[in-house]
Amino acid sequence: MAGLVTTFGAGAMTNSIGEIRDVDFLFVIGSNTSEAHPIIAMEMKRAVHRGATLVVADPRSIWMSTIADTHLSLHPGTDVALLNALAHVIIEEGLTNEAFISANTEHFEAVRDAVLEYTPERGEEITGVPAEKIRKVARAYATTKKAGIYYTLGITEHSHGTDNVYALSNLVLMTGHLGYASTGLNPLRGQNNVQGANDAGASPVFYPGYERVDDAQAQAKHEEAWGVNLSSKPGYNLNEMMKKAGEEVKAFFIMGEDVLLSEPNVSRLEAGLNDVEFVVMQDIFLNETARFADVIFPAACFAEKEGVFTNSERRVQLVRKGVEPPGEAKPDWEILVALANACGANWDYQSASEIYDEMAKHASKFSGISHKRIAERSLGLQWPCETKDSEGTVFLHEHGVLRGKGQFQAVQYRPSLELPDEQFPLIMSTGRTLYHYNAATQTRRDSGTNAKQPEAFVEMHRFDARTRGICDGEMVSVWTRRGKIECRVIVSKQVKKGCIWMPLHFAEARANLLTNDVGDAVTGTAEYKVCAAQIARLEPETPRPERFPGSFCRDSEPV
Amino acid sequence: MSETLRLNGKDVAIVPGESVLELSRRVDVEIPTLCHDPRLKPVGACRTCLVEIDGMHRLVPSCATKAAAGMAIDTNSERVVRHQKALFALYLSDNVDAAETDDTSAPSELHAFASKVGAPTTWPKMQHKRFQRAGDRNPYIEYRADRCILCARCTRYCEEVESVSAITLAARGSETTIATSDNRSLLDTTCELCGGCVDVCPTGAMAEKKPLSLSLLPARELEKVRTTCNYCGVGCQMDLNIDRMANDGRGVVAKITSPDAGVLPNDGNLCVKGRFAYQFIDHADRLTKPLVRGEDGELAESSWEDALRIASEGLKRVAARHGADSLSFVSSSRCTGEENYLVQKLSRAVFGTNNVHQCAAT
Amino acid sequence: MAAKDKMERLLEALHEAGGLAEGTAAKVAAELGVPEAQVYGAGSFYHLLGSPDSRLRVCTGLSCAMRGGRKLLALAEEAGMPVSECSCLAACDRAPAMLRERSVLVDVEPADIEKADGDWRAVQGSELPEDWRGRVGPDDSELPMNLGGAQNFTGSALAKACEMGAEAAIAAIEESGLQGRGGAGFPAAIKWRAVRAQASNPHYVVLNADEGEPGTFKDRELMLRRPDLVLEGLAIAAYCLGASDVYLYLRGEFRGPWSKLEKAIEKYSEEGALDGVTFHLHSGHGAYICGEETALLEALEGKRGMPRLKPPFPTESGLWGNPTLIQNVETIACVPSIIRRGGAWFKALGATEPGTKLYSISGDVSEPGTYELPLGASLDEVAAAAGGYEGELLAFSPGGASSGFLPASESGRSLDFASLSKVGSMLGSAGVVVMNTKSDIRESVREQLVFFENESCGQCAPCRIGTRYLREALDRDLQGSPSGKSLAEVAEVAWEMNEGSICGLGQAAALPLTSALQHFPNAFGGEKS
Repeated sequence: MAGLVTTFGAGAMTNSIGEIRDVDFLFVIGSNTSEAHPIIAMEMKRAVHRGATLVVADPRSIWMSTIADTHLSLHPGTDVALLNALAHVIIEEGLTNEAFISANTEHFEAVRDAVLEYTPERGEEITGVPAEKIRKVARAYATTKKAGIYYTLGITEHSHGTDNVYALSNLVLMTGHLGYASTGLNPLRGQNNVQGANDAGASPVFYPGYERVDDAQAQAKHEEAWGVNLSSKPGYNLNEMMKKAGEEVKAFFIMGEDVLLSEPNVSRLEAGLNDVEFVVMQDIFLNETARFADVIFPAACFAEKEGVFTNSERRVQLVRKGVEPPGEAKPDWEILVALANACGANWDYQSASEIYDEMAKHASKFSGISHKRIAERSLGLQWPCETKDSEGTVFLHEHGVLRGKGQFQAVQYRPSLELPDEQFPLIMSTGRTLYHYNAATQTRRDSGTNAKQPEAFVEMHRFDARTRGICDGEMVSVWTRRGKIECRVIVSKQVKKGCIWMPLHFAEARANLLTNDVGDAVTGTAEYKVCAAQIARLEPETPRPERFPGSFCRDSEPV
Repeated sequence: MSETLRLNGKDVAIVPGESVLELSRRVDVEIPTLCHDPRLKPVGACRTCLVEIDGMHRLVPSCATKAAAGMAIDTNSERVVRHQKALFALYLSDNVDAAETDDTSAPSELHAFASKVGAPTTWPKMQHKRFQRAGDRNPYIEYRADRCILCARCTRYCEEVESVSAITLAARGSETTIATSDNRSLLDTTCELCGGCVDVCPTGAMAEKKPLSLSLLPARELEKVRTTCNYCGVGCQMDLNIDRMANDGRGVVAKITSPDAGVLPNDGNLCVKGRFAYQFIDHADRLTKPLVRGEDGELAESSWEDALRIASEGLKRVAARHGADSLSFVSSSRCTGEENYLVQKLSRAVFGTNNVHQCAAT
Repeated sequence: MAAKDKMERLLEALHEAGGLAEGTAAKVAAELGVPEAQVYGAGSFYHLLGSPDSRLRVCTGLSCAMRGGRKLLALAEEAGMPVSECSCLAACDRAPAMLRERSVLVDVEPADIEKADGDWRAVQGSELPEDWRGRVGPDDSELPMNLGGAQNFTGSALAKACEMGAEAAIAAIEESGLQGRGGAGFPAAIKWRAVRAQASNPHYVVLNADEGEPGTFKDRELMLRRPDLVLEGLAIAAYCLGASDVYLYLRGEFRGPWSKLEKAIEKYSEEGALDGVTFHLHSGHGAYICGEETALLEALEGKRGMPRLKPPFPTESGLWGNPTLIQNVETIACVPSIIRRGGAWFKALGATEPGTKLYSISGDVSEPGTYELPLGASLDEVAAAAGGYEGELLAFSPGGASSGFLPASESGRSLDFASLSKVGSMLGSAGVVVMNTKSDIRESVREQLVFFENESCGQCAPCRIGTRYLREALDRDLQGSPSGKSLAEVAEVAWEMNEGSICGLGQAAALPLTSALQHFPNAFGGEKS
């Protein structure tokens, strides 16, 4: 997010989902697309069926890598080294787009100098990806016009997540793969409305529409609009809030989020929450965090209210009410109005549409958007959309980089903060699966998704299993410096030797008891993707299930 | 100047690359079709879209024939009409009665077209021979062989769009059926339960298992409400199919269907979560009343009035004691844009702190 | 292995795994990296793969049925053997025939079943499966194919073609008037030219040896006796079309022809006479429809044998999407002598149409077999070559099941492409089945309808539903409902099958019934006689 705002001037997919089918070279990195974004994966499959080249960079063998032309199986946390090596080849072989660089970017020299030492051979040394593969991919990317990059949390959920985004931006800027259809740099959003929440100013540094809180002009504008004095001091980001819980932070208001399942190093967070004086929550179900709540408001779910979600491609779309909420539950916006008024405000919103209009009035990117306009079109509106007659923006940067000049950002490879050692010899990563969603409060209440994937599991390589005397399907305990959980093991061809992988969805085996809460220096996003862990078989021996959850390529031969 | 052809005696301009079927639809000339889907390669297998083209000896499938300049096409010549009546009569003799399709599955395109072309309904019924695997324990999708017309939309979708190839045409001749390998449950195949097979099926042979238990209304009486999926960041458009009277008038989401192919951003596709994982809406665990932690440390139900008062007092008390920046507001990427707007406004304008962040900031 | 090679191996791998039993599709899928359901779907299409538990199969083709095939079936069932019925085994001249695993047993007698004492492995025919062949005639070295002649591996015709050059060789084929012998009678030279003209590469040559039309067995005999001609003809085609890979698709029951071809390939290779051509032998697995050229291509590509839409024709987009010449065994076998002796010579051999023709004749004649006669010979002439009629002629089927039935009054008509189509029939593959007055026409029609119902690929509704509809209608008629009622929609269904079906199978499948209704109206209606 922040990375893309810095380099391009807008933190969102540069291009649209519907353009993917026409891409000729797809570079998918840190995205298990078929599980986390199945519909986008369908578009990618369609491109591959059409003849596009697909390159997947992921430590694991994921479904998409089975149909890829090239799978770059890099060591976890070495993305910068890989991306810099790709940049090295592109520069070294004269494949840069000089015209684009000189017209549309700045600070290229810094990157040129920085990647000088990242020869493919050095890249191989750090990432484990053969130098020849790096060369091949770099050439193909640089020389294909319709080349698009797609990434998700495998890029951002690192202590160097922003560096990763910078390194990707550098590739885009040096090849000029920006500003036309079926190309660009495309973060695929994990949640229905991550984009919309950012857009609406649910950020410690941005007002709605990405105006900074420490910008005096923006502050003045909002003070006038809202009729109150505002703070110019940037707030805590989520990672800081969690770490400061019980210390600087003494009260929480939490809407629609189970921080005790989703945030890293939750045992420390639990300790902090004990010292928090007051917690207000609103949600559709009780969750782990509810144990600390003083007041919980029953909320309506998406099928019971009106509003907008903004998807990954900046498309603002309507959420429409189908049924009434159960009991006395109310839409979150109605609860917020009531709570604000109880706190002394004088809000008088009659509908979600009215709220949207107020936001759009002061955020130029959305000022051409309203519920009425979206309803009139069957395809939503993609921001920027600044006037009432604008059709929105299908892909960004068409008339030059939004920021003015695309900014190259030289970055160096820094190892992840917690590396394996004797005591914790395995690298653990976490992620999502197709059948569950986040804290799984919804999907584990569904017969089908739960039947397909009923319980938590950890994937490990047959070698690591054998050396620990672990058999496929047995119960194991997994522990890190921060905590310990128990779950079933799947001996899998998906993970590399020395690596393990766990889904984050299961409350009874919270992966986030194990993960590291060191955050990225810029965004505060925690390093969910790399920490050091150990596994042992649980005694006594547990019966193995007949059916195994998850893992599309279980290594079922005897260990 | 674009090229033209003659369609039922009228000149029509050709859009390059379009099929005769696409051209006809574009100018509102209806041709029946059962195996066509814009997301799939044309196979011309259902034979319902055959038309007569001057100079061609045989009737040709309009879905698989490119429109070409100078063609003279007849979509309702005597020969085409005779063919349609006979073909649909054959289909009907091998399928269930129209009355049987009037259940909770999607309306049958087969029966709708058959009645539109005036196909005879009196031909003797045959006992179908299509094998149907028994008791697939997946809770979402069922195959009802008696309604199947083997158009293979489902198997082609599974292969060409979803690319998991979990189901296949199996056996041959009149025993041809839709099967999984070794007739296993879908849960034990590569199936990802996306339900695309259900969505593309023109006859209700591939059907949701769920609505049978949730709603008593036939599908055609459900009210469709277009909305945006609440799971990942793709923002799929979907239709809630509502039974308004159910649940004592609160309404129930009887099923979720995808819009037509072509509707962005999902082109009519949905995944397992979007299409099927909506049981949570009516789950007994839903919070229905405000809860307030009492003196005893336990959460107890409360009135809205009390809960709002306690919440506001609590927040104000902490702000007063420790300063506004001791409050943190966790907003949600799961909630609407308007709700996120209000949370940050609550944080900034009511309490005066910028300590607001959404849960999925990266 | 490239994706294409994996697919090409799929059906064979499933056969090696023992056919479609529980777990075998998964095994093959894992070996080849192909989706399991795809393996299962393809395997289940082919009867020899789809029902591996049937160790014995009894041919219920018309000729075998006339000679007691159904009795053998009943006996084997009574004896508790793993037996089922199957479609024509292309051994009508040695009826009744059975299949034991993939070996064809001929002239099987009820005693052969009885003395096996319940053990299916012990069931034998009159000769060892690898040894038997059929009766042929006449033996004349001036005949283009001359089934009785000696094999010749010098490759002299290919050498001559190379000397002439491809254009001149194709011109000779054109002059000869050679028509496709598989059934459609399409001029061979047009196909050769079409493939040769295609700019995209590679070009392929495919031999259609999936002979399965009930009553037809001439390709079998040709491969058993003159594999030299078949291979040399293919090599000439490959040379003329700029192809180097030749695929031979033999029906799965043709173990004898397979080994004869293998030996001939070896012999040629020793002689170095056909160098530059690679022959790929492929086995079918029990599906008549794979004789349809595009279904055959699908089978070669490891898929369900469902015909493709045409256009595009295989000459433009055939095997793996490349320009492909597909020819019947007999068509190809005519090529060497055309090159050697010239097109005009070949053309003049015909009676009403160019060249000689192999007529397979079976049923009620004294010496069923394969006879090479001038194209356009009449039934009387073919029957005379086969030792004359047995009993009094009632009806005949001139070109396999797809040609329907003609009455005795047509016995003087030329059996050629044009003349037969005038009476609503067709020469097809010239598999002639003769029925005398002891035959029951209605029962014979039923055998043919059952055949089409079993062999329809199931892809398109007119054929899939129509074939069953007609058979069920006939069954009602056999059960004694008044003719007008049970057969009321037959004409309309037949019309629709012809108009609406994708391929020739469905288009012709009603003909046995409609032709019988036309020529033998009194055979229908009323109680079964």
